[in-house]
Amino acid sequence: MISDITIGQYYKAESFIHKLDARAKIILTVLFIALIFLCKNFISLALTLVMVILSVLLSSVPVKMYIKSLKPIIPIVLFTAVLNMFYTGGENVVFSFKGITLTSEGIFTAIFLAARIVLLIIASSILTYTTVPTMLTDAIEKLLSPLKLFKVPVQSWAMMMTLALRFIPTLIEEIEKITNAQKSRGADFESGRLLQRIKAVIPIIIPLFVSSFRRASDLAYAMSCRCYTGADTRTRMKQMKMRIRDFVCIIIFITSIAGVILLNNLFGAVI
Amino acid sequence: MSNFVLETINLSHIYSKGTTSQVDAIRDICLKIEKGELVGVIGHTGSGKSTLIQHFNGLLKGTSGTVLLDGSDIWADKSKLRNVRFRVGICFQYPEYQLFEETVYKDVAFGPKNMKLSDSEVDLRVREAISFVGLDESYLEKSPFDLSGGEKRRVAIAGVMAMKPDVLILDEPCAGLDPKGRETVLNLIKDYRETTESTVIIVSHSMEDISKLATKVLVMNNSRLAYYGTVDEVFSHAEELKEMGLNIPQITGLFLRLKEKGFDVRTDIYTLEKAKDEILKLLKGGCL
Ligand SMILES: Nc1ncnc2c1ncn2[C@@H]1O[C@H](COP(=O)(O)OP(=O)(O)O)[C@@H](O)[C@H]1O
Ligand SMILES: [Mg+2]
Repeated sequence: MISDITIGQYYKAESFIHKLDARAKIILTVLFIALIFLCKNFISLALTLVMVILSVLLSSVPVKMYIKSLKPIIPIVLFTAVLNMFYTGGENVVFSFKGITLTSEGIFTAIFLAARIVLLIIASSILTYTTVPTMLTDAIEKLLSPLKLFKVPVQSWAMMMTLALRFIPTLIEEIEKITNAQKSRGADFESGRLLQRIKAVIPIIIPLFVSSFRRASDLAYAMSCRCYTGADTRTRMKQMKMRIRDFVCIIIFITSIAGVILLNNLFGAVI
Repeated sequence: MSNFVLETINLSHIYSKGTTSQVDAIRDICLKIEKGELVGVIGHTGSGKSTLIQHFNGLLKGTSGTVLLDGSDIWADKSKLRNVRFRVGICFQYPEYQLFEETVYKDVAFGPKNMKLSDSEVDLRVREAISFVGLDESYLEKSPFDLSGGEKRRVAIAGVMAMKPDVLILDEPCAGLDPKGRETVLNLIKDYRETTESTVIIVSHSMEDISKLATKVLVMNNSRLAYYGTVDEVFSHAEELKEMGLNIPQITGLFLRLKEKGFDVRTDIYTLEKAKDEILKLLKGGCL
């Protein structure tokens, strides 16, 4: 089902991570990504893994949800990992058969590649599961606000992003409705050649566009009726506030990055 | 061959099964719909009406239970499912939002074309359908997007009628129309049924409309089938219907109030004629 897509799906809970400031969470996610890509040996990877597991546990989001977000990419991860395993050159041949050689460098590359992608997905899922989409765009707006000095309309962008996120579920629902209606008139989306299949989506796309434009203009009217004249003059009902715990988390992460770099140097890099 | 065109046996449907947002939309529905009936489906919002009808043409598959069309399971052969959709035509709520072609003609022809009918047959059906919905042939070359709301609605209904389904299902066909538009739509549905002698199922909020049109009434309440029977039978449960939050016809409401006040009247009355008779009877009885 199309509605199984979990982009930006918020999971309601009252965890420590849910309560962190959205800006802090974005910064933490960036630091997390840095952490994941800096690991160069198994000990630093283990440290990162511990950080990820701790964050997942602290998020109060069921592990099942993370598995759900990982599922679609597992085939891609396996495929690229296997390819890398065989195509990475190196001296330490572990295994050789009929021209196919497997080196320890290849195996390590594959493991690190797979681990990095998986951890990356988990880290970004923590952010989206624990943060309401609108808070996320607000936070991005705040973080990018220095760009206003260069006349970048950050607030308008943030508004557009908020609206886009808001309408994703509506659009999905709409697509389902229209698809059902056209199926009831015998539309066939499952068989035929490529060209036929592309043609088959026209009866969905056109009504979708028509209703999106209608919705956009309704929304524009509704916004002007509430005196929206552009984003720059808006204030917020919920003020964002960085607290001590936000800073503590950021410090912990920066320390971990330092730790990973140290471990990389102490024990040598394997990739 | 059985007399029942549609049957459901212990049909249940659960949305998003196994997640926190699981919804039991319909539970254990057993019903048999005879050929040629005009069934009115009523029930409060969220009672599972739309979910139920989507099982009739295989858009949804029951979590458990079966749906029989003319005695055979519609899911028995998946490749025949499209045929089922030609035989059971559903017109959804706000069907005007599914119009997509450049002209009314092409849009109405979409269904018949999918049925792989010959061009002349398609042409015939389009013209027939457009006259069923009370529009003249000058509409055929117009763009559906230039029509008024009520006209769009009628074109969309014609799009389903053009397939000449054995069972025509309409989900809230009058939603969002003005009183005149409502009447037009209800009348054309009535005419269509009389002309084609097909089975028609109408989902509606309005008891008033249903009581005027339907031969059978199906009442949904909290995902379950509450009543299924003739209009008289169902309206004899007027008090229970009221408890379910359904707005019973005004006339029935009046008699219910009379009964509350201690008059000995029937409460399954919904037409002006019967109301007159009952009141006359009451007057003759000397209660007043
Ligand atoms: N696609 C869907 N996904 C999840 N839940 C749904 C979906 N469609 C309907 N529901 C839920 O199922 C229940 C019955 O809905 P529906 O059949 O639309 O009722 P009705 O048509 O009587 O108003 C409602 O609680 C509704 O929220
Ligand atoms: Mg409904």
